[in-house]
Amino acid sequence: MAVRHDRKVSILDVMGPVMVGPSSSHTAGTARLGRVAYEILDDDPVRVDFHLHPPLAATYRGHGSDFALVGGSIGLNVDDPRIPEAIRIAEQMGLEISFSEEDLGDVHPNTVRIEIRGASREAEIIGSSIGGGVIEVFKINGFQARFKGDSPTLLLFYRDRPGMISEVTAIIAEEAINIASLYCSRKQRGKDAFMQIDVDSPVSDAALARIGSVRDMREAKYLDRIP
Amino acid sequence: MIESFAQLEQLGAGRDLADVFLETDEQEHAVPAADILEALRKRRAVMRDCVERGKSGGTSMGKLVGHEARLLNEAFQSGKTFLDPLTVKAELYALAVMGENSRMGVIVAAPTAGAGGVVPGMLLALEEERHVDPEKTVRALVVAGGIGSIIALSASISGAAGGCQNEVGVASAMGAAGVAYMMGGTTKQSIHAAAMALKNTLGLVCDPVGGLVEVPCVKRNALFAVHGLTAAQLAMAGVESVIPMDEIVEAMVRIGRALPRGLRETAEGGLATTITGSAIAQRIKDEANARRAEKAKERERAAQERKGGA
Ligand code: SF4
Repeated sequence: MAVRHDRKVSILDVMGPVMVGPSSSHTAGTARLGRVAYEILDDDPVRVDFHLHPPLAATYRGHGSDFALVGGSIGLNVDDPRIPEAIRIAEQMGLEISFSEEDLGDVHPNTVRIEIRGASREAEIIGSSIGGGVIEVFKINGFQARFKGDSPTLLLFYRDRPGMISEVTAIIAEEAINIASLYCSRKQRGKDAFMQIDVDSPVSDAALARIGSVRDMREAKYLDRIP
Repeated sequence: MIESFAQLEQLGAGRDLADVFLETDEQEHAVPAADILEALRKRRAVMRDCVERGKSGGTSMGKLVGHEARLLNEAFQSGKTFLDPLTVKAELYALAVMGENSRMGVIVAAPTAGAGGVVPGMLLALEEERHVDPEKTVRALVVAGGIGSIIALSASISGAAGGCQNEVGVASAMGAAGVAYMMGGTTKQSIHAAAMALKNTLGLVCDPVGGLVEVPCVKRNALFAVHGLTAAQLAMAGVESVIPMDEIVEAMVRIGRALPRGLRETAEGGLATTITGSAIAQRIKDEANARRAEKAKERERAAQERKGGA
């Protein structure tokens, strides 16, 4: 498949990541997808359900993708030597885990839908592990997204209204943060909307709080580069 | 942004290729060159570590491989190998890394885990045998990564997308460019080294037995590490690829598309469906089912006990 990435992958993406074997697409990429779900949940997970696209469902066990997905979703890094024991660790933490097969449509073979729940919050992502540990998350909590986890990113959930984008970007400019790319999607005009802003440098808690207090902002999340 | 190898050849003429890549990466990804070098220093150390751990071997997760590195190392240490030390070490280090990978050890995906033995096999063996400054190896990793990032603009780096040419083939091209760089080659020579390495892996299918990154992957890494070294040797002697690198990458993408699904990581063709390959796959399946049944029984027993206790 001739994938034209919207951005060139970096040297460190190609010559990496440092990871637990045996497969960058089945182990490292899947661990990072689990980690994205964990970071978006932003809470201690109590239950996580992995819905695997059929080709991944057929191959995940032999590659340790089950350990990797679970490892990521309890916050382990791809190079954490505890990944081979992640399921046992998660069970000890009382995490409920399920794996099932689900046809996710015309997507990359290694695609998974992850539902993760904490005590009072929940999150859902759909993403693909496209090789070499590189991931593409294209759905976040039901919104279209273009999340790759390769730069610091703001994920903003808000009520759609005119002027929202300029208010947010004005704050970012005032904080002297450079925007690498901006992507918006919404479920319906004037209803729930989503903005993903990839930035060049980390966002401070103070800056995040400012963005979070913009009128009609439901939730402002900041994710660091996913290791 | 460097969008093609033709452009790279122009941009890098008369310049240090690692510097060219560091500069563009800094512009595109806002990661300072010093940070990239620091990260790659650590990654080189992980590779070295991995080689040391892997030399002694050990059974893989799928139990199909694990002792290749130990056997070759024993032969080498006792003077029973007949190839030159550089070649033997390239094979040995690639096997060692892949052995670790198959045991869920910590490795560097370069560019993938399944092809992760090729680049360290080539570069670390060369560093030792030709007494290259380790810092130069780090910069060769920049070169290898940069070459891979241009390939990744048009080709997805995974066996599922285009077969093993997209993984081990790409790794040997990346490594070949790195080797030419370490030996003092020009930008053009690095590109031709990559071109000759990649060109001669076109058509390589991905047919892992039982769907595991073990057979043929582990040994394939060793053989293609040597393949990449020979491509770099030709380039350093002034041999050039007739077909330009950009067109080779295009050909790779076309071939990958033409490959039937069964030869793209699905374990439904090639070596995976030979008599032996199928028997192994069946055994793996049976064992997994037995384990699952055992677990279910255990759960039932625990539930019974809970009931009994109440
Ligand atoms: S055969 Fe497939 S799984 Fe094995 S190294 Fe090649 S691409 Fe990776």
